[in-house]
Amino acid sequence: MRPAIRLQGLTKLYGATLGVEGLNLEVATGEVFGFLGPNGAGKTTTIRLLMDLLRPTAGTLSVLGLDPRRDGVELRRRVGYLPGELALYEDLTAEELLRYFGALRGGASPFVRSLAERLDLDLTRRIGSLSQGNKRKVGLVAAMMHDPELLILDEPTAGLDPLVQAEFHRLIEELRARGRTVFLSSHNLPEVERVCDRVGVIRKGRLAAIEDVGELHARALREIEIHFAGPVPAERFSRLPGVREAVAEGDLLRLRVEGSLDLVIKEAAAHTVVNVSTREPGLEEIFLAFYGKADRDAA
Amino acid sequence: MLRSIFAKTLRDRRRGLLWWGAGVVLLVAWTVGFYPSIRGSAGEYSRILEQMPEALRELFLAQGADLSSPRGYLSIELFSFMVPILFLVYGIGFGARTVAGEEQEGSLDLLLSNPVSRRRVLAEKLAAMLAALAILGGVLWVGLAAGSAIVDLDVPLSDLGSAAVSVVLLGWAFGAIALALGAATGRRALAVGITSALAVGSYLLNGVAAAVEALDPFRVASPFYWYFGGDPLANGLSLPHAGLLIALLGAAVLPGLAAFDRRDLAT
Repeated sequence: MRPAIRLQGLTKLYGATLGVEGLNLEVATGEVFGFLGPNGAGKTTTIRLLMDLLRPTAGTLSVLGLDPRRDGVELRRRVGYLPGELALYEDLTAEELLRYFGALRGGASPFVRSLAERLDLDLTRRIGSLSQGNKRKVGLVAAMMHDPELLILDEPTAGLDPLVQAEFHRLIEELRARGRTVFLSSHNLPEVERVCDRVGVIRKGRLAAIEDVGELHARALREIEIHFAGPVPAERFSRLPGVREAVAEGDLLRLRVEGSLDLVIKEAAAHTVVNVSTREPGLEEIFLAFYGKADRDAA
Repeated sequence: MLRSIFAKTLRDRRRGLLWWGAGVVLLVAWTVGFYPSIRGSAGEYSRILEQMPEALRELFLAQGADLSSPRGYLSIELFSFMVPILFLVYGIGFGARTVAGEEQEGSLDLLLSNPVSRRRVLAEKLAAMLAALAILGGVLWVGLAAGSAIVDLDVPLSDLGSAAVSVVLLGWAFGAIALALGAATGRRALAVGITSALAVGSYLLNGVAAAVEALDPFRVASPFYWYFGGDPLANGLSLPHAGLLIALLGAAVLPGLAAFDRRDLAT
């Protein structure tokens, strides 16, 4: 099957500053793809290139087999898009805005009501009087109301409360089950882990890695603190595979571990353990894992 | 009202259009209402005018206008300054705001996530601006017709209509320049600034060239001359002049469209 999105050497320069450089990426039809990176890494630039709002400096891109520049209208008929910096018509009600966009799409949109209900959005209120989270919901409904083949979402859950986020995740699950393709950007690792099949990690305009979600988690650096009943030499841990750092301070041992904690736990079990605390890896730790590896490869 | 970009654009400006229409009506009522009191002492006013230095008279007043005649009165009091200013300010503001303003507010991203081309967005917004100015022109014409009937101005409706059409065309041309500059640059303030400067320059060129003989050949290059140089209130609409204003509109819009179609849009 042809990919839903294909980027080849995609580069965007803003004058002399770099937007993105040399992106190569294929997103399969039916895939939920997460685009992960810190703010300013180039996520929004990539997405706006896909939507033909920006034009590439170099490289090619095809979306649903179409050239966004040449076939933009046809493409946007089949794509739903949620901008990262969402600006709506504040003087309209949500219902009016969605009716307007429905008219531009050539008719009524049967999914508006059910989507609004599921996301708990009051369609009758003026958009200007809505909270950021509720505005985001309006944008989500606008992106999804025509049941597009491909959804492109820039930070879809920013500002949504956890219940609505969960409902949004269920919506994405349903789209996946129906063979729709989703490309979403996020700087929220748990979200990406939860809904995506694969993840592209972007940093400073370059694609650092494309990984299965499971792989990403396995490679992440975790921090673990073990409080023993007495001093334990750090060397016993630092020689274990996967342990990147081990520091003993009296009874306390601090470790940074890549991937599974299995061996560390087994080694710790040989001593008397008072307490164990771990911290889920954040995005920074994930990056550290990737760039740490990249450095080793280069060395 | 939300079935097309054209309708949405007009809808967004409906309140503004109402106020501007009210302003035009008030201006016409005020000006025409004073005519009876001036008609009696028109000779005096004309003498005062004649005592003004020739250059000053040429610069500020319509050519050869005679304050004592209804046409001269309307030319001087309405069509030489106040009415074109109203139409220009409205047209330039509308033109600059409708594309560049929407881009700067950020909603253009979302509008263009729909299956509409940039060309269509610009074309429908341009059409909305032209329609709004035409409506304003219609209000002007009806106001003049009513006022002229009440105080017995004795200027045919067709001549009032020619003058109204002429000022609409002037607004169209400069509104289109502002719209095109905004679409090409994405910067509303810049579009307003440059277009206003062009309008002022065109106004001054028309006035100064009429007064300074050496500049006279250049007067025909001023859109303000195309607007009222042929005195549509007396002679009807000059088709060449109307054509030049339309051509100016086209000459602004086409490169604006091309630039808008080609460039990156701002977030």
